[in-house]
Amino acid sequence: MALAKSVYNLLFRRTSTFAVTIMVGAVLFERVFDQGGDAIFEQLNRGKLWKHIKHNYENKEEE
Amino acid sequence: MMSIAARSGVFSPYMQATAFAVAGPLKALVPGVVVKGENILLNPKKKFLCRESLNGQSPKTGPAVTVSINGSAGVRFAHTDITVPDFSDYRRPEVLDPNKSSQDSSESRRTFSYLVTGATAVVSVYAAKTVVTQFVSSMSASADVLAMSKIEIKLSDIPEGKNMTFKWRGKPLFVRHRTEKEIATEAAVSLTELRDPQHDKDRVISPSWVIVLGVCTHLGCVPIANAGEYGGYYCPCHGSHYDASGRIRKGPAPLNLEVPYYEFPDDNTVIVG
Repeated sequence: MALAKSVYNLLFRRTSTFAVTIMVGAVLFERVFDQGGDAIFEQLNRGKLWKHIKHNYENKEEE
Repeated sequence: MMSIAARSGVFSPYMQATAFAVAGPLKALVPGVVVKGENILLNPKKKFLCRESLNGQSPKTGPAVTVSINGSAGVRFAHTDITVPDFSDYRRPEVLDPNKSSQDSSESRRTFSYLVTGATAVVSVYAAKTVVTQFVSSMSASADVLAMSKIEIKLSDIPEGKNMTFKWRGKPLFVRHRTEKEIATEAAVSLTELRDPQHDKDRVISPSWVIVLGVCTHLGCVPIANAGEYGGYYCPCHGSHYDASGRIRKGPAPLNLEVPYYEFPDDNTVIVG
């Protein structure tokens, strides 16, 4: 409850800080959402993507 | 008029929603005549909740009880068993109890409201940003078009003093390997005698190589290389003379030949585009 009160007084009470909170929150949310989605996608397609099977096709003699 | 109102007891079964046989507070002057063989199609145990269900309680058959003047023919259920509608379904659980002060829970309720608003706004901002980004990026060139828009030229194939023409983005591209003499000549040209003043070193990256678009700035013809009075390019359509740096020197064209963006990844190749 003390946390909720301080959050309210610090971030939500003024419209200016509320707007800033929304903007910063959107940036953070975008990172989490996009990277989380990519991680889930790669988890579901493990072994099918090019970066997972790339080492099978790389030319060993070239190195 | 008054007599009609006083004698309207016979109509009361038609004017009220329910007809229900109970003993009235007053003893009726004429005992009720019971109509035999007709059932009252109503369920008195059914709860009265709203007007619609009240309608459902009305007898489907004719009046079961007839009474005379001042006889009580029906019963109005005086809101004893009707649930009075209120807004408790829409209230937060903290403020359901009317005996409790709402100020105690105002902090948490307010914070919750703002949290929900803020979270919605965050997701909306993200969605709007994504939609706009997708829409704008769909208007830019795709990767295959971008790959086609570049041309890589091997410079060792072009001997000194020669001009080669390539097709680049549907237009001719002149790549000219200049001799030392041409470089010296073009560098010495005074800017005052040029129609479109531009120094030679502003038009080239490496002085040996002049890379210009082969489109005459007059009406878009393709000039002829190594021709004209200045030893550069000559447009046969209307007689524009360009020098070995692609600058307009004589004729109707208003501007120098256009220099595209290009870079030298190494000494032997140039990538235009």
